[in-house]
Formats: sequence, C-alpha cells, structure tokens
Amino acid sequence: MPDRRTLITLAVLVAAVAVSVAVAELSGVRLIDRVVTVMCINLILVLGLQVFMGNSGILSFAHIGFMGIGAYTTALFTLPLQMRGMVLPNLYDVLATVELSPALGIALGGLVAAMVAAALSFPLMRLSDAAAVITSFALLVVLHTIMVHWSEVTNGPRTFFGVPEATGLYQAAGVAVLAIVGALAFKESRTGVLLRASRDDEVAAHTIGANVPVLRWRGFVLSAFMAGVGGGLWAHFITSFSPNAFYLKETFVILGMLVIGGGATVTGAVVGTIAVTIAYEGLRAFENMLNTEQVFDGTVVGLTEVVLACAMIGILVLRPEGLAGSCEIGATALFRRRPQPTGERP
Amino acid sequence: MTTASLTAADLSVEFSGLRALDRVSITLNTGEILGLIGPNGSGKTTLVNALTGHVRALEGTITCAGETITHLKPFQIARKGVARSFQIVRLFRNLTVLENVETAAIVRGASRPAARRRGLALLEDLGLAALAEEPAGALSYGDERRVEIARALAAEPRFLLLDEPAAGMNEAEGHALVAMLSALPAARNLGLLVIDHHMPLIMRLCQRLHVLASGRTIGEGDVETVRRLPAVIEAYLGVSAVEAADA
Ligand SMILES: Nc1ncnc2c1ncn2[C@@H]1O[C@H](COP(=O)(O)OP(=O)(O)O)[C@@H](O)[C@H]1O
Ligand SMILES: [Mg+2]
Repeated sequence: MPDRRTLITLAVLVAAVAVSVAVAELSGVRLIDRVVTVMCINLILVLGLQVFMGNSGILSFAHIGFMGIGAYTTALFTLPLQMRGMVLPNLYDVLATVELSPALGIALGGLVAAMVAAALSFPLMRLSDAAAVITSFALLVVLHTIMVHWSEVTNGPRTFFGVPEATGLYQAAGVAVLAIVGALAFKESRTGVLLRASRDDEVAAHTIGANVPVLRWRGFVLSAFMAGVGGGLWAHFITSFSPNAFYLKETFVILGMLVIGGGATVTGAVVGTIAVTIAYEGLRAFENMLNTEQVFDGTVVGLTEVVLACAMIGILVLRPEGLAGSCEIGATALFRRRPQPTGERP
Repeated sequence: MTTASLTAADLSVEFSGLRALDRVSITLNTGEILGLIGPNGSGKTTLVNALTGHVRALEGTITCAGETITHLKPFQIARKGVARSFQIVRLFRNLTVLENVETAAIVRGASRPAARRRGLALLEDLGLAALAEEPAGALSYGDERRVEIARALAAEPRFLLLDEPAAGMNEAEGHALVAMLSALPAARNLGLLVIDHHMPLIMRLCQRLHVLASGRTIGEGDVETVRRLPAVIEAYLGVSAVEAADA
C-alpha cells in the first residue's frame, strides 16, 4: 500500500495531465490538440529518463536511441502489407508477412527497446560520473548509426513513411498517466529506494550489501521500455520519420525538460515537460509573429532552441535541483500534516 | 546460540609503498565487544576497510564464520553478515532517516512494509523515533552517528564494526552510547568491534583489546593485561592513562 504522500503526488500529477487534455478539448483548436498530444508523448519520454537518471543520479544520453528502437519496431510491424515493398524494398522475407495492430506494435516496441537495453547496458552500469556519461553518449551514436545503415528495416537515412495513424490525444494522455504511475511505483519500490541510496552515497550502498550495477541495470531497462513505448506512440502520431528524429535535437529537448523541472522527482519530470512545452509553443508563436509581421529584415530562426538552452543554463546555475525542487508535490508543506508533538527529542 | 568469528590472519595492506598494515591477525567472536585502539595513523580504519573489502589485502586471509571472504566485494561481504560504520559518517542524505534504516533491511530481502516495521522498531530502540521522517542530511552530528548504527543493525549483522562511534558526541551522549552498545552483543548475538580514542569509554565498554601502532599489533588480550604491557604504555596509553584508570 503506497503511503499517503505518494498518493497525493499521483493525484496532483494526473490532474495536471487531465487539465491539459481538457484545455485541448475545450479550445477545439487542432493545433492545441496536437501540441498537448506531443506533450504527453514527451512526458512519457521524460518520465522514462527520470526513472533511470533521477533515481541513479547518472546522466544518460542513450535514452532517445531507445525511443528510436520503439518507433522503428512498431513502424515495421504495423506497416500495411501492401505498402511494405514500396517503403522497404529490401525487407527480409520473414518479416514481410507479419502485420500487428498499433497497440501491439507499440507494446512490442517497448519490449524490444527493453531487451536491447538489457543486453547492451550491463557492462556500462559499473561506471559512474564522466565515464558513465560518455559511454551512454557512445551508445546513442551506435544506435543512431545502426538506424541510418540498416536499410532493410529502417529504409536507411531516408524517410520511413506510411505508418498508420493511431495515436490521438486520449491514447497519449492515457499512456502518460500509466507512465506517471510506473515512475512513482518504481521510485518507491525496493529497487528504487536502494538506487536512490546509491545515488546519495555509493560506498555506503555497497556497505549495506546493495549490488549497485544490478540496481542501475533494472532502472535502465525500465527506462528503455518507457522510451520505446513513447517512440512507438510518436511513430503512430507523426506517421513518417527518419533516423535524425532520434538524435541530438530530441535528446536535448528531453534532457532539458527533465533538468529544468528537476530530475530527482517525478513531479519535476511533469513540471519540466509542461513548462518547456508552454515556453516552446509561446516562443514559436512569437517567432512566427515576428516573421509574418516582418519586424526584422531577415527571418528569425532558432529562438526556441536558444531560449531553451539559456533556461537550462540558468536553472543549473541558480536552482540546480530544478523548478520542482527536491520533494515530490505530495511531500511539500502544502500537504504535510501538522507534526505531532513528541517528548522524545532532547 | 553458537559462536562464530570474523578473523584476519597475517593481513598486510600497502598504499603505494607505505605499509599501513603489517601481518596483523585479529579475531572477533559473536557475543563479545573488542576494542581496537592505537595512535592516529596506526592502521585502525585500514583494518576495518580490509575486513569489509573496501581495500584489498596484499597478503593474508579473512574468514567469516569459517568461510574465506578475502577476495569478495564489499557488498558481498555485507551479505555475509558484516556491517560497519564510517569514521566520517556516510548516510543517504536525500532519504529520510527511516528510509536510511529501511535500505539495509530491504537488501536482506524484506518487503517495504516489513522493512518499515523493522526500521521503526530500531529507531524506537535507539531513541530516534521522533526523527523518522526527517531528511538524513539535516541531522545533528550525534544523531547522524546513531542513525548510521541503526542502519547497520537493520541488516541483522553477525559482526558490527564501528569506527569511532563516539567522535563528536558530548559526555552524556557518550554514556548513552556505551549503555546502548553494551547491550548489543547479548541482545542481537553479534560480535562488536569498536575503534575509539577515548580510553575511559573503551575501558567501560570492552572485554578485550587489540592495540595497533604503525600497522603492527603491539598488544592484545583482556583489558587489564593489555593496558599494563610496556609496549602499549610506551606507544599509546602513556603512564598517566594507566594511573587514571587505576584511580
Ligand atoms: N586510501 C589511502 N591511501 C593512502 N594512504 C592511506 C589511505 N588510507 C590510509 N592511509 C594511510 O595509512 C595509514 C593508516 O591510516 P588509518 O588506517 O586511517 O589510521 P587510523 O584509523 O588508525 O588513524 C596512515 O598513514 C594513512 O595516511
Ligand atoms: Mg581512523
């Protein structure tokens, strides 16, 4: 039975998703509907990153690679059979006859991402600090290179098109809620507590008997599963994409959301995703306005990226624990029961 | 209850040429309290680090209840029932006090609710119950040390090695600590090794002493014998300490 504070946190975070969905529905504007859908998909990716990074304290750049695995897996298995020859002329014969529903394809994408993570990551989990960061970056490069060159199943660097459209606002929001539940449950699980302990003091974690690489590995595999599911949902939203969608730009956005919100908490992941989405869309509208009104002679481009980068720097300098701080929303003063007077403390 | 022991035989440790431990042999039995004393830099912490796998021994063997553990990793040695505290406290600072204690119970296989119950019972025993929900990073020095001991006990160890547990405590806290530690071996059937500088505290607490100087054993045995050994008096205690204890 989860404790009261975790339940309050869950309720507040799910409410935040529900409000976003309500805003999109009530506005009736198609653009807002799409923005909130993408926000929910990003939330799944950010929560997945939080599961590993927030609890273990280790920065991972590989996350978006697993998003790509999920996206390509479901794209491959849900592509209508009659289109296979056109999209993937060199597809292996065994794969040319299987067609799954999008829901199954997305689930399979999560599983494949998790299995790849499980197989590749164990040696990396012994590393900490800079070595861990640089090897996770190397892993992203490896996954990207495979996506670019494995033409038989990815269509190489060219666009993979024809993925059935299946992800709407409600599907994305529903899975985002599951991701919130999953991230909170993991944080409070036995593995989650020990992983957070190892983040605070790895030597002391060894001393109580914790097998730190195994704990990290479990977090990493769950994290990759969530990234794979997020990637699959995105594939069925966007319907055509190329390997570049799963590289540095997306990595920066997802990391930025988590760092700005605060990686140590699930609350931080939600706050960061919503805050960055609002800022992003606001800036994009502003940029469009500047360009259509011809305020400057040339066109303004890249405003969103520059502002996000500056926000990240500002947060890291001024408030390293992120907007949400180091406590879950359910554990903040707002929800704290008045402390009972005790006579025990000297 | 059967007795078991944690032993090191002819243990040597070197740090880039410096011999921090030189063929030290030591035995800790369940049910007893052994004091490990010696001047600063004599190798006491290094001995605890070697026994718990945190530094590699150059030579010698370590056994726990008859099983050789010389080459095991720290987390494996912990799972054999050897727990410790650190000279400079190491808590999980962003976890609550209760969660800190829970971690060791979880590693031993407890579910979260069971770990919580065990943790609360231990905090109650050590007079820390009021701090259960506090973040461990916000404690006073003395409380930090007691939480670290509570966490070690939550693993239900057979051997508990405490590196200067009374450091930074005032006299009243020191007395309370001695009372608490004295009861542990019988109540929990464990062997307790305590490093401390403070001779009166060690004399009250321990049945046996092991004395190190410059990485070598210069005396061991029951308290009365050891504190009269000339080498010990010369190296560490000083004549005044013997007189003070006699008085
Ligand atoms: N990690 C280390 N690297 C190098 N030298 C060390 C290390 N740890 C301890 N030493 C040296 O080993 C000797 C014994 O230290 P230590 O075991 O901490 O003594 P004590 O705990 O008795 O004060 C000292 O000379 C110390 O400088
Ligand atoms: Mg020392």
